[in-house]
Amino acid sequence: MAEFSDISLVTQVAVFRNKKAFDQLVRKYQSPVRRFFLNQTLGDEQLSDDLAQETFIKAYVNITKFRGMSSFSTWLMRIAYNVFYDEVRSRHQTEDVDTSVAVARQTVSANDTLKMDIYAALALLKPDERTCITLQLIDGYPIDQISKVTGIAENTVKSHLRRGKEKMANYLKENGYDR
Amino acid sequence: MTDKDNMMIEDFFKQAAQQQIEDNGFTERVMKNLPDRKLEVARRLSQLWTLFCLVVAGVLFFVFGGWQVVTGLFYASIRVMLGWLEVQMVTASTTEIPINLWGILLLVAIVIIYLPYQTARKLSATL
Repeated sequence: MAEFSDISLVTQVAVFRNKKAFDQLVRKYQSPVRRFFLNQTLGDEQLSDDLAQETFIKAYVNITKFRGMSSFSTWLMRIAYNVFYDEVRSRHQTEDVDTSVAVARQTVSANDTLKMDIYAALALLKPDERTCITLQLIDGYPIDQISKVTGIAENTVKSHLRRGKEKMANYLKENGYDR
Repeated sequence: MTDKDNMMIEDFFKQAAQQQIEDNGFTERVMKNLPDRKLEVARRLSQLWTLFCLVVAGVLFFVFGGWQVVTGLFYASIRVMLGWLEVQMVTASTTEIPINLWGILLLVAIVIIYLPYQTARKLSATL
């Protein structure tokens, strides 16, 4: 039913350029898209919102290219993934991650400890591992959907998940989460 | 990785998975920044007009024998150049020009080494 309503809204945007329909789509998906970026940028709210806005604008401009082969949310997350990796490439990967961690520490200071721990734990992962882990454990995507979103082969996704989870488990044990 | 480890990781991320981010004006900002439909249409029309003009220019070029004009100009310019060369050879100065061997070597070195090096350097900088 939700998918049918998405397709109906997408059709209205694609055919009639109905901005109200697009407004509904943005309202519906702003939370998962912004949360995805928050996790990838380790809590940098300003950067996350900028990237999320860019994602929705790209979706609006290219909405006629949505063929309905996957769900709208998967298509949108694929755009979000590409937007994030364009940003990483343009900032040079290592520099970006370091900056994000620094910003994250400032931003997160007002939030609870667990949230801070999540970003600290995610900072231990490589970008692809982080994307796969957050898409599975936070956004609830199955492996085949993660593969569609990231364009990474399913077996490679499984490897990223396994390595990422091993690192997470070690981090959690070191920080007393196993008690 | 044990089942216990898996459960521990899932528990750790459970709160983050339930987190809903409030809109707080985000949707309005996105809607304000969407590209204007009228501008999009104007840009598309401008592209179509350019394409139309190119096609018309191409058709007119062949209909009015544009290719013949181009080849005619090409052969005429070659004839003019050959004529100029002939005049130069007939009226050339008989005075001997001293040739500087070092000058020639320097010129050859520039052409063979320096220019390709500079070109490669600029190309690698731009790629």
